[in-house]
Amino acid sequence: MQMHGQVPSYRPSIDPATACKHCELPVGSHPVVSEGMAFCCTSCSLVYAALAGAGMDGTYYRLRDMSSDRRSTPARTDADALELAELDSDTFLAENTRETDGGERTVELFLDGVHCAACVWLVERLPYEMEGITEARLDLPRARLTLRFVPEAVHLSDAARWLARFGYQARPSRAAAVNEQTAAERSLLIRMGIAWALAGNVMLIAFALYSGLDASLDTQLATAAKWMSFALAVPAVFYGGSVFYRRAWASIQQAWKSRTIRALHMDTPISLGVLVGFFHSAYATVTGVGEVWFDSITVLIAALLTARWLQLRARRLAGDASERLLSLLPSMARRIGQGGHVEVIRTSEIRHGDLIEVSAGEVVPVDGTIAMGVSAVNNAVLTGESRPEPIAEGSRVEAGGTNLTTTIRIRTSASGDETRIGRLLAWVGDRRSTQAPVIMLVDRIGGYFVTAVLALAVLTSVIWLFLEPSSAATHVAALLVITCPCALGMATPLAMSVAMGRAARAGIFVKSEASIQELQKVGAVVLDKTGTLTEGNMRIVDVTGNQTVLADAALLERTLNHPIAVAIVRSQHGHTSGDGSSLVSDLAAEAGRGVQGIVNGSRLVVGRPDWVASKCADALPVFSEAASLYAEQGYTPVAVARDGFLQAVIAVGDALRNDAPELVARLRQQGVEVHLASGDHPEAVRSVANRLGIPLERAHGHVTPEGKLAYVEALQERVPVLMVGDGVNDAAALQAAAVGVAVEGGTTASQVAADVFIVRPGLQPVLELLSGSATAMSTVKRNLGFSLGYNVLGASAAVAGLVTPLAAAVAMPLSSLAVVSMSILQRSFKQREDSR
Amino acid sequence: MTILYLLVPLAIILAAIGVGAFVWAVRSGQYDDVDTPAVRMIVDDLDQPSEKHAPGTNGNRP
Repeated sequence: MQMHGQVPSYRPSIDPATACKHCELPVGSHPVVSEGMAFCCTSCSLVYAALAGAGMDGTYYRLRDMSSDRRSTPARTDADALELAELDSDTFLAENTRETDGGERTVELFLDGVHCAACVWLVERLPYEMEGITEARLDLPRARLTLRFVPEAVHLSDAARWLARFGYQARPSRAAAVNEQTAAERSLLIRMGIAWALAGNVMLIAFALYSGLDASLDTQLATAAKWMSFALAVPAVFYGGSVFYRRAWASIQQAWKSRTIRALHMDTPISLGVLVGFFHSAYATVTGVGEVWFDSITVLIAALLTARWLQLRARRLAGDASERLLSLLPSMARRIGQGGHVEVIRTSEIRHGDLIEVSAGEVVPVDGTIAMGVSAVNNAVLTGESRPEPIAEGSRVEAGGTNLTTTIRIRTSASGDETRIGRLLAWVGDRRSTQAPVIMLVDRIGGYFVTAVLALAVLTSVIWLFLEPSSAATHVAALLVITCPCALGMATPLAMSVAMGRAARAGIFVKSEASIQELQKVGAVVLDKTGTLTEGNMRIVDVTGNQTVLADAALLERTLNHPIAVAIVRSQHGHTSGDGSSLVSDLAAEAGRGVQGIVNGSRLVVGRPDWVASKCADALPVFSEAASLYAEQGYTPVAVARDGFLQAVIAVGDALRNDAPELVARLRQQGVEVHLASGDHPEAVRSVANRLGIPLERAHGHVTPEGKLAYVEALQERVPVLMVGDGVNDAAALQAAAVGVAVEGGTTASQVAADVFIVRPGLQPVLELLSGSATAMSTVKRNLGFSLGYNVLGASAAVAGLVTPLAAAVAMPLSSLAVVSMSILQRSFKQREDSR
Repeated sequence: MTILYLLVPLAIILAAIGVGAFVWAVRSGQYDDVDTPAVRMIVDDLDQPSEKHAPGTNGNRP
């Protein structure tokens, strides 16, 4: 890749609040400076250089600044070599691409990192920049890229690599699941459109009947109008409404089998109401005696279908995203064949006893023992332990861990679903599919509502037949029109889908509206530590003394694989220029103590404070105080001395997120019990609990994934539990909790298991979720209250004979309009826009 | 009022044509993504190839 030759260099004089030239996030205390511009990380500077190099920077940044609701994220420019290999494999081409005319194929890829108009422009330039790609279409909200390409002329991996230069991560998508979802959504939309078209026409005819056609002399025309609406209602009832009868029938069978009335779900009264209304009206039409209610029935069907479609659409954003991330375990692996040559195969083809090679930075695909190599693995995904674990020949490794330092070879003992992580994921998958579908609030009310209206209609006709038989029909008609359930049917789904759409824009993906409801009842919160309350990796948390020695310390430590050395080196990443190893001599490491050597001509000692102090002439008390303070806080203190003088004490550890105290404080304020369950060392858990003010009897360390599940289930017997976590070790608990929230940076498994997942860093979004869902629920209640109130008032007036059918027909759309505007004007999930 | 016997069925035929168009639009995927086209509109005007890459490689963008 062209880089204009310059290497980003370290300039300490830049204000940490300066916006990164590329992503516009604050650059922080270690900015990367290139050509006089500040970036937050090397990747952002690389993307900026790539854009400038291609002459596309002007348009890109102009378009981006025009987009109002973009999400800032630092760029990632590394492409996963194995994922790229999968894109080119014949099996992938055969399974996930479609042949179109002229020997071209189309493929759908998920694209991470697209967020605004500029991304659409940049990504859709692909055909201009690369031979063999004929069309690129980006679906922005779903982050889905459709490519048409000539398989002979271009490798998909090259396209993915081109996209990666600009910070977009292309991932293979599984075509089958996506197509099924699209087909379901399209068919529901068609059903809804047809239902509304029929309902609209039936209503027009009904208006004519209500405004006196029936009573006029032209009875022939009135009869024709009734037959016409009958004809229009038939497809509405039998095609449009068939989804309700099917589900109602299934629930009746279920109830019959289990002998519980509770299994009957709310499609049953809806179906009953619709069918009774329809057959009564049909009978009235055929015999010419009685009232027809085709308009109410068809509008009800259309309104309920709309509600269902809105829900499906609101959910798909979250559903798509979890499908996009459904690749926790690598799908490709490198196997060492018989003759020692390396072959890239799909992980499903790995057999027991195969030798698998895993490079540094890759995820271990199998359970097994190390056959060759010395490295360290980070098992945070599995266990929640933030410290990397050293491994050598003979040690056991588990799938899901990340290999950190050098290439290793693993003798497979289990692969796929037989691995520990595979079993956990299978459990989560099973639970998801067996969980009962959530009963929608609108169905529940809607069903009873129809029954109540029909009963009222009978009541009204009976009353008025006694009082004044000639006007009975008019009053019944007015009742049916004024109680049209449009407003009621749309009250909940509309408010929910507006809230969920806003939340998704703020990076909070809510998978089902039931979670928004459940969140209001939560009585206890179980928090994970590593990666949730903390940032999830070892880094320098604090420095007492001279910060500039860190650069030299990093030079000294860069050849070492110790986690603390890695943390020190990473803190200086991208800020040192050139190859520093030539400046280091006399390097000597002492296990468990530290390391010393000559850097830039001066003797440097880095290690345990007492060991370093013993090598120094004198140590200021401020340093020993700092060291003991860090140790108390659960960090590892490390001292740095230069030429026999102690220069600095640094705290290395997994830092608490800035917004963690606020989250805990807010939860306690709301009277919610806060619990902490972590797989990490109890000492580390206790120190975090202390700082957050969580009672120690509610903070537990060394909790296994199974233990977390049991903990949540035990709590759940008392109160509904909100679980916040990020790792695979949290997945089962997230699934079991009333509401599971997976925070940013979490693993696929946690995102699949969770009810809500967040793609914005930090814990602030969790706070937004809590307040936003409360607002959304109060909007729903206001909507329901309003439409029920309207209907009760309208119905009583109609039963009393105070409303004419025409007045009712005018009042009806007004109530729907009120509900729609209340839903759109709600204030949930607005904080972020205000703060920007 | 006899004209209604003609006008109402005529109106319903027109409605049926509308519904047909709607079904076609949904089936051809026009409702799958309703956000990106709004963005693409501002993009299309700017879509001249950049200086460093001549459009020669491929010009048949739809």
